[in-house]
Amino acid sequence: MAKGRVLLRGVVKSFGATDVIKGVDLEIAPGELTVFVGPSGCGKSTLLRLVSGLELPTGGSIMIGDRDVTLVHPSERGIAMVFQSYALYPHMSVAENMGFGLKIAGLPKALIKEKVAKAAETLQLTPLLDRKPRALSGGQRQRVAIGRCIVREPDVFLFDEPLSNLDAALRGQMRVEIARLHAKLGATMIYVTHDQVEAMTLATRIVVLNAGRIEQIGAPIELYCHPANLFVAGFIGSPRMNFMDGIVEGAEADSVNVRLNGATLRLPRYDADVKRGNKVTVGIRPEHFRVGPTAEAAEEPAVEFDAVIDLVERLGGETLAHLRMPSLSDGVLVVKISGDVALRIGTGLRVGVRLAQCHLFDADGRAVGAPASRVAPVAA
Amino acid sequence: MSLITRPRPDIAWIGRVNALLRYGVLIGVGLVMLYPLFWMVAASFKPNHEIFGSVGLWPQEPTMDGVVKGWRTGTEYSFATYLLNSFAFIIPKVVLTVVSSVLVAYGFARFRMPGKQLWFALMVATILLPKSVLLIPQYLMFREFGWLDTYLPLYVPCAFATDGFFVFMVVQFLRGIPPDMEEAAVIDGCNSLQVLWHVVVPVIMPAIISVALFQFMWSLNDFLYPLIYLSSVGKYPVALALKMAIDVTEATAWNQVLAMSTIALLPSLIVFFLAQKYFVEGITSGSVKG
Amino acid sequence: MYDNRLSGYLYIAPFLVGLATFTLFPFLSSFLLSFSDYQLQDPVEQARFLGLGNYIQMAGDDTFHGSLGVTFLYVFLTVPLKLAFALFIAFVLNFKLRGIGFFRTAYYVPSILGGSVAIAVLWRYVFAGDGLINQVLVWAGGEPLNWLGEPAYALFTIVLLRLWQFGSAMVVFLAGLQNIPTDLYEAATIDGAGKARIFFTITLPLLTPVIFFNFIMQIVQAFQEFNGPYIITGGGPLKSTYLLPLMIYEEAFKYFNVGYAAALSWVLFIIIALFTIIAFASAKYWVFYGNEREEGE
Repeated sequence: MAKGRVLLRGVVKSFGATDVIKGVDLEIAPGELTVFVGPSGCGKSTLLRLVSGLELPTGGSIMIGDRDVTLVHPSERGIAMVFQSYALYPHMSVAENMGFGLKIAGLPKALIKEKVAKAAETLQLTPLLDRKPRALSGGQRQRVAIGRCIVREPDVFLFDEPLSNLDAALRGQMRVEIARLHAKLGATMIYVTHDQVEAMTLATRIVVLNAGRIEQIGAPIELYCHPANLFVAGFIGSPRMNFMDGIVEGAEADSVNVRLNGATLRLPRYDADVKRGNKVTVGIRPEHFRVGPTAEAAEEPAVEFDAVIDLVERLGGETLAHLRMPSLSDGVLVVKISGDVALRIGTGLRVGVRLAQCHLFDADGRAVGAPASRVAPVAA
Repeated sequence: MSLITRPRPDIAWIGRVNALLRYGVLIGVGLVMLYPLFWMVAASFKPNHEIFGSVGLWPQEPTMDGVVKGWRTGTEYSFATYLLNSFAFIIPKVVLTVVSSVLVAYGFARFRMPGKQLWFALMVATILLPKSVLLIPQYLMFREFGWLDTYLPLYVPCAFATDGFFVFMVVQFLRGIPPDMEEAAVIDGCNSLQVLWHVVVPVIMPAIISVALFQFMWSLNDFLYPLIYLSSVGKYPVALALKMAIDVTEATAWNQVLAMSTIALLPSLIVFFLAQKYFVEGITSGSVKG
Repeated sequence: MYDNRLSGYLYIAPFLVGLATFTLFPFLSSFLLSFSDYQLQDPVEQARFLGLGNYIQMAGDDTFHGSLGVTFLYVFLTVPLKLAFALFIAFVLNFKLRGIGFFRTAYYVPSILGGSVAIAVLWRYVFAGDGLINQVLVWAGGEPLNWLGEPAYALFTIVLLRLWQFGSAMVVFLAGLQNIPTDLYEAATIDGAGKARIFFTITLPLLTPVIFFNFIMQIVQAFQEFNGPYIITGGGPLKSTYLLPLMIYEEAFKYFNVGYAAALSWVLFIIIALFTIIAFASAKYWVFYGNEREEGE
């Protein structure tokens, strides 16, 4: 029984001469909350609309459950969709909005009323049922839009950037509500967003899209720890990962030596397919530097370098320091430091690079070799 | 400007003079423009000799003589017949225009189809096409159909969205509305006609009302088409009847003629004041948003 | 946007049928008729091919020359005057004044009524020998004028009738003015631009799309003016208000010279088409579309 499973095979979509989706294969297991992320124009919304049936693919096939739905009308696919603009019918009351699909399907009035009442209770909308959408707040409208979906009892929920019209506080609150709803209903959900915090917190699995292609699929923490390529490495994580250009000096079975601007790093890497002289990119996240002595300092190999403070962004709990570290790179590197450290522009600093946390990408941007942490820990 | 919390005295003074000048211009122009209309209404209630005697508005010797005789029109029918005649073709005309314009505009605004650009361009071109170039062949065509001296030539073309202006107006309005609601309705199980009826029509109601109102006004004012197609006096609409009544009454009874004109303008004026915001929205939607 | 091409064509089908039947077919027919000697009372089969006969006749027709001249005079007087006046009043109105809605409505009323026979009738009485205008002139100590009887003045009265209907153009200008974001004015003021400079560098360029729209609409309408001359002056005196649409109507339906009338209507069409084409072709040099957006999918 594959109720709620979504399967895309070789899906292609073009608008005129522009290819928006360039061949996507994807399987979503029943009950998963899958998030599509990517920069604007990457095709994530189009992909969702292909699943919904609002757009028909130029090529490939789409299955929901055990059925090929590639050419099936949206209302018969067992899906429901929440739109970015809520897309509530302005001339209908909340109850009419939620029951409209059932009315079109020709269900008896009493049954519609019962189903709407039940969904309204789940979402605490009962006191608002007689109101028109314009008399609701943004958060309430969003809940009505979700209620309209619940009433349909779909196998798959589709969310198209549902929170981007809300302010930050409400966004956080609605995010939690959607997570609860997912836990409660256990239905398959596909969620499109450009906000990686939403993606990281909500997703069972994340699908990173770029220019109409899937860059990587994986659990949020897997994408964070082991980005498959430069694009994913740069896209997931905030602030962005620092990248430094380097040249391979030598590769061994368990490590790679990379020559950077002024120093050589010995990165723990297993089975790295690189040769001496290859151009590579080393990536390290701002939170993976080490400033000052810390408890774990002794446990993890780190190399310290001199840095000069270029700019300081204080966020309160933590501080982003923009540093010049000529031995690593010509550019400015961003380092995340705890908020209570005193920093002055122009002064010097010793910064440690945690070698096990560094990422290595070849000239084509692909991640190279197995990282140390994935391999069984070896006694130092 | 908002940086200055308390205006300096000289600035406040300039502002007052500015406002005063503007009001002066507006009131002056308004008076000159509207005075003839007031004069017409007032003259309907004056005896004839008083109309020539003074430029003032208020009747010295108020009389209903002009209105009563004007209503009788001096022809074999009273004004009521002509009003009913007008509505006999204007109502189907308005209904057909609304239905056809909405259907066609929906097709243009919401469907991808080959050749759409060409058809849309042709539609816009028909707005600019002078009617007189079509007038004669249309007349010959309707003569072949045996439709002369009926109302059919006046409203049947409207069933085919021949007034590109209205289609254009609705298309512009639709373009300003995100299609999300319609997509939600598709997911809710509507076919495109159900989407149109349940979602699009309620949402574009202001545009639909604008179309209906403009078509109503223009049809009421329309003179040339009734003039060439209708020949029996008993079928004349207000516009033709008025012209005829004037030719009959002419020189002497000004108060009758002006009373008739006043009555002829009443439907337009009533509709305009009841729904003036739709006129402003309608006329601007085609020009500013585009 | 739905992908279903068939239903798209179903929705625009009424338009396509109407376009073919009531626009394209008559359009081409009148072109053919313009080369014939067809008379209104005859069956269509009796029409004889004249070649360029009608157009040659036109070259020697003084009535046509006069009508053409009067038509151009009428258009060149009304369109610029009406646009300038509408723009001026829109500027006066575009200010934080109380009662703007009232004035806008008041000015709009003539546009709603102006095309009607009743107003044309009123015009006749306003400009009659002892009509309102002359009474005001006498009251102010002036001499009454023979407005409708004097060729020099008669055209002026129907020009005034159109100017009187400046309200619709004004409403469009006003909406255009209110569409200009105020932060542009504020930015220009901070940059040190004076009132006149702001007008010529910000207001006018941003208003050009609306000016363009109004210009096209007014040109097309003015060339087709019929009610005014037909009812107020009957084309006279001495054909001084014999506009081309009136001449076309009389040739066809009074003298039954359908072939000749069709040729006249084609001349009118070509004139309007030329003006429109020139306007559209020149638009890229002077019409400024600030926020051009691509059509979203």
